[in-house]
Amino acid sequence: MQTLEVRNIIKTFKLSKKQQKLEKTKEKLKVAVNDLSFTAYPGEIFGLLGPNGAGKTTCLRAISTLIKPDSGDIIVGGSSVVKDSMDVRGKIGFLTSELKLEDHFTPSYLFTYFGKLHGIDEELIEKRKTVLFSRFGIDDFREVKVGDLSTGMKQKASIAISLVHNPEFVIFDEPTNGLDVLTARSVTDYLVELKHEGKTVILSTHILSVVDKLCDKVGIIINGKMKICDTLENVKKSHPSNDLEEIFFDLIEEDELGGNA
Amino acid sequence: MMKNIATVFRKEFYRVVSDKRLIFTTILLPGLAIYLMYSFLGGAMGNEFEDIQSHEMIVYVENVPEDFSDYLDTLDLNVIYTDYVPSEHDELLDLILIGEVDLLLRFPTTFNSDIDGGILSDVLTYYNPGEKYSEFSYGVYMTELNTYRQSVAYDRYGEAFYVFTTDINNDEHIIIDEDKAIGQGFAMLLPMLIIMFLFSGAMSIGPDSIAGEKERGTIATLLVTPVKRSEIAIGKVLSLSVISLFSASSSFIGIILSLPKLLQGTGEEISMNIYSMGDFVMLFTVLLATVLVIVGIISIISAYAKTIKEASMLILPFYFLSIVMGMSTMFSGEAHSNIFIYLIPLYNSINIIISILTFEVVATQYILTIVSSLGYVVIFIIILNKLFESEKIMFSK
Ligand SMILES: Nc1ncnc2c1ncn2[C@@H]1O[C@H](COP(=O)(O)OP(=O)(O)OP(=O)(O)O)[C@@H](O)[C@H]1O
Ligand SMILES: [Mg+2]
Repeated sequence: MQTLEVRNIIKTFKLSKKQQKLEKTKEKLKVAVNDLSFTAYPGEIFGLLGPNGAGKTTCLRAISTLIKPDSGDIIVGGSSVVKDSMDVRGKIGFLTSELKLEDHFTPSYLFTYFGKLHGIDEELIEKRKTVLFSRFGIDDFREVKVGDLSTGMKQKASIAISLVHNPEFVIFDEPTNGLDVLTARSVTDYLVELKHEGKTVILSTHILSVVDKLCDKVGIIINGKMKICDTLENVKKSHPSNDLEEIFFDLIEEDELGGNA
Repeated sequence: MMKNIATVFRKEFYRVVSDKRLIFTTILLPGLAIYLMYSFLGGAMGNEFEDIQSHEMIVYVENVPEDFSDYLDTLDLNVIYTDYVPSEHDELLDLILIGEVDLLLRFPTTFNSDIDGGILSDVLTYYNPGEKYSEFSYGVYMTELNTYRQSVAYDRYGEAFYVFTTDINNDEHIIIDEDKAIGQGFAMLLPMLIIMFLFSGAMSIGPDSIAGEKERGTIATLLVTPVKRSEIAIGKVLSLSVISLFSASSSFIGIILSLPKLLQGTGEEISMNIYSMGDFVMLFTVLLATVLVIVGIISIISAYAKTIKEASMLILPFYFLSIVMGMSTMFSGEAHSNIFIYLIPLYNSINIIISILTFEVVATQYILTIVSSLGYVVIFIIILNKLFESEKIMFSK
């Protein structure tokens, strides 16, 4: 039951005049995610790979219930994002660069605050705080206001807070962005640990090496469409070079040809 | 349900009270500013009054009849008399124009014989209404001239002079309920100020708490927790309301403290202890309902706006509208009796506040005000909930 199933979701955005200019298009609508489907299983790390603007973040936001798909559905451990969005939010830990922490508060205060909103009792919150804060090296600045933290420190605090309720589903959008190698490593190590605990982990990235080292399954999205989705091994086997980078470039090239024709 | 509301409330409240800058600008500053402003104003008005009172009037006179002159001496006026010289007439008028001389009073040479002969005599006065001392002197001497005119007429005609008299033997001439008169004064002044204070308190924090969170991207972090949007809405509205009440109370205390200074010189004695505990309780419940309505309006606008700046701009028309509503009562100082008035948000509060201050509360009107205000708050929270649920509103780029 602890699978996460994305079923044929479509998400279209209306573009404002400003966005039309930015995207260099006259179209009023942008199909950000186009009939996307995949399933992630417990004990696995699923990697969403795609170039900038492919629709990775849009897909993850739909999973987190921040946005609703135009059609299709996502079933998170038996709960539908369309019908039981509250249940879904209780089961997932979601991280993206757009989810900011308030400058005025300290990581420690916010950890407790969000813990309470997840309905956890204070004793347990303190326990998890001790574990996660030492794990991500937050202890040194746990009582410093978020506004006074560096980008990397904020990212670490965000990660810890997104995991306050020990969620069964961990959905991280570019989790290692802005982190030094050391911290990036501690994050990826933790993701592997979560996987071994039997959690369902989904992460998005455009860094091929992260997928190569970390993921059990990979889905490559280009222009909102799932181009290929299989185990890392099978994806690699599908190409004579057996190299993820080659596959990635071939798919992009193929899409551009298709788009122009 | 209640737990999440309490959690959101506590955090929002803590956000303000743990920030020295916010405490100062939203809670201390309003009261302090009003106290200083009104004290200064009162002080200035008092000084002005004293200044005029203590000024030595400079009055030029010609042919003042002896009996009038004697009468003036008994009055103990603070004045210097100088005799008028006809050849310097134009120079004297120039001195009045520049404020060096306050008044010129000329009786005709034939004044006494005219009076005796029954000829209408014309007394000439020259003054400058643009100069405060001159204006004041003119007032003083016109009053005394009137008294003199009557005494002269009485001397000549005796009782027959009076066509009729008024209130010579009427002790109950002035029928006034002191408390009610004071209440009337409050009713003309306070409703507008109360609405203004509540509004400006809410305006100083509402946009930051909702539009600001949108702008800074922190609201999304809250929206991915398993908390109902309505709980977030209620938590925020409640904490904003409490802070707005603090802010308004601060302004209110500022006014009360500056009242004595504001009224100094006018010799009036005014205090709020004409009201009973029951009046205050009623006033407080109305304020509570009103602040919820105001915060509701401000929250909806702030949720709709993309930035703090946009929210502040969009709130302004509502702020002005509420001030206009408050002002409309300043002239009448009277509450409406039409029952439907008590269904209009904010306007109902203004009217019921007047009723309370003038001791004329009608129970149905009071209940209607409270119930309809709470009804509006429920509607506002439903709208706010919808706005929080809308991804277009929450994540528009
Ligand atoms: N709220 C929105 N309004 C309009 N267009 C949007 C909105 N959100 C996303 N888009 C568009 O949808 C497309 C997909 O965006 P998305 O953020 O999902 O890409 P991504 O794969 O996460 O890219 P990146 O690697 O740069 O993060 C883009 O063209 C983007 O401009
Ligand atoms: Mg992205």
